[in-house]
Amino acid sequence: MPTIIFSQSDQSATEIEVSEGTTLMRAAVSNGVAGIVGECGGQAMCATCHVYVDPEFSAELDEIGEDEEEMLDCTTAARTEYSRLGCQVKMSAKLARIRVSVPNEQV
Amino acid sequence: MSTSTDAPASCPFSGAAAEASSISPAKARPSSETGAEAPSADWVTIADLHDDPFPIYQKLRAQAPIHWVPAVNRYMVTSYAAAHEIEQNEADFTANERESLMKRSMGHSMLRKDNPEHQIDRDSYGKTLRPATIKNHWNEIFAANNDKYLNELQAKGPGADFVWDYAAPYTAENLRLICGFHNASQQDMQRWSQSMIDGTGNYADDPAIWAKSAESSAEVDAAIAEMLPYLAKNPDHSLLSGLASMPIPLEAIRANLKMTIGGGLNEPRDVLATTVWALLNHPDQRHAVQNDDALYSKAFEESVRWVAPIGMYPRETTRDLVLEGIALPQGARLGVVLGAANRDPQVFDDPESFNIFRPKKAHLAFGGGVHFCAGTWIARAQVAQIALPTVFRRLPNLRLDPANASVDAGWVFRGMTKMPVLWDS
Ligand code: HEM
Ligand code: FES
Repeated sequence: MPTIIFSQSDQSATEIEVSEGTTLMRAAVSNGVAGIVGECGGQAMCATCHVYVDPEFSAELDEIGEDEEEMLDCTTAARTEYSRLGCQVKMSAKLARIRVSVPNEQV
Repeated sequence: MSTSTDAPASCPFSGAAAEASSISPAKARPSSETGAEAPSADWVTIADLHDDPFPIYQKLRAQAPIHWVPAVNRYMVTSYAAAHEIEQNEADFTANERESLMKRSMGHSMLRKDNPEHQIDRDSYGKTLRPATIKNHWNEIFAANNDKYLNELQAKGPGADFVWDYAAPYTAENLRLICGFHNASQQDMQRWSQSMIDGTGNYADDPAIWAKSAESSAEVDAAIAEMLPYLAKNPDHSLLSGLASMPIPLEAIRANLKMTIGGGLNEPRDVLATTVWALLNHPDQRHAVQNDDALYSKAFEESVRWVAPIGMYPRETTRDLVLEGIALPQGARLGVVLGAANRDPQVFDDPESFNIFRPKKAHLAFGGGVHFCAGTWIARAQVAQIALPTVFRRLPNLRLDPANASVDAGWVFRGMTKMPVLWDS
């Protein structure tokens, strides 16, 4: 099963093993990862599941969809070229051991 | 209309920059251990809740996170952690409750369906309520409507009622265009909304209330039947226009539109009036927002936290379970009391006071999970971005009428029912 590594600004990290198809947001919320709220349950409506994806995985991700694109403009922490909505990124074998950083603020 | 400089440029809602915050509230998980029986709160009355529910919520929350409340015929969930768990956990807490009065008055809308059925209806709303459409289309329309109804308020002169002479017609007209009812008036929208909401709350089974609700429901059906073929030929950005070209049953369109008429009008109206009322009662905070437009979004979020416009919504347990130490049987009818969860001292310091400068934390006023309010950004845009800054700019020295007191009331829905205002004209 692929693993996600959520790293926090204090350098601590949480490793979570998930089944393929699980989103980054769901994995974080069900495991109580600090800093991922996921208030809208994955409707791409709240922007509280914002993460920065490690550059080495950027190319492996599906393109940013229209709904995700507009919502990324509403994140609380600054959007960068590595910003994604955790609820729109589904895990797959090629993302095994993907590393993402959790922003300092989410609401 | 001004935008905050520190907010992302293209977000239609210019959120003020947040302070660093702790954003993971205590987690409650339903467990299968044996729990305590929910205490019964037989001292709670509907009349007291309607007047001022907050002292009641304080008392309940201090005793237990969940009570059986005979007057409401439900378990009332008042802690933040329990409310949050319920909204994120569809499997244990269904939105599709039995004997729902909302289903009777409005039909079976997305709000009372679980996934996967819910998602089909939710997706049928397309892009209409999403940020990009708001930015490219609705903001301009909201600004024009705002001018129109502020003009009417000013023409009425000092002493006019902020809710009924401005906030209600403004938000009703916005919703009319969002829905695509080009064959109705904002007054129709207000009448439909109120009579169907009254049906949804008709626990006393009053036949006169059912008759009015059914009459509005039939009028909405007729208006939809007329608009769908028209919008199929003349598409615009409205909900009905999108629905006109979608393979979705007419029954679902009707129920979803009725639910949206009920849920998309009173809430922005109430948050607009409540926020202005709160600012007028807190001169220091009013002064601050008037000097910095970026603070209006903070005032909006604090206002919906402080007085959640939707104070309670229903869920039902799908199995025997224990939530926060309280045993709930399968089929237990719950009231998730957002009005109480949003003032939980476990999460918010000094929760009873209105303070736009409090550290930012996620409130539950828009719900959460798959039913998270579909109109969140519409509400933020029309109220925080457009109405609030203009109101304070255009009505110099706006103040409450000392000779004619305002009234705040309600608990399932809470807002200002009367708010006479004065200004220097
Ligand atoms: C400040 C204003 C508003 C507040 C506080 C608010 C609050 C809420 C809440 C708490 C829910 C979830 C209820 C539940 O889970 O049972 C909800 C759902 C919903 N709201 Fe809002 N609302 C507001 C404005 C609006 C507006 C302006 C619209 C439409 C233009 C709207 C459309 C909806 C819809 C369609 C749903 C159902 C979503 C679903 O079931 O997936 N709301 N709202
Ligand atoms: S969970 Fe709300 S946008 Fe991702």
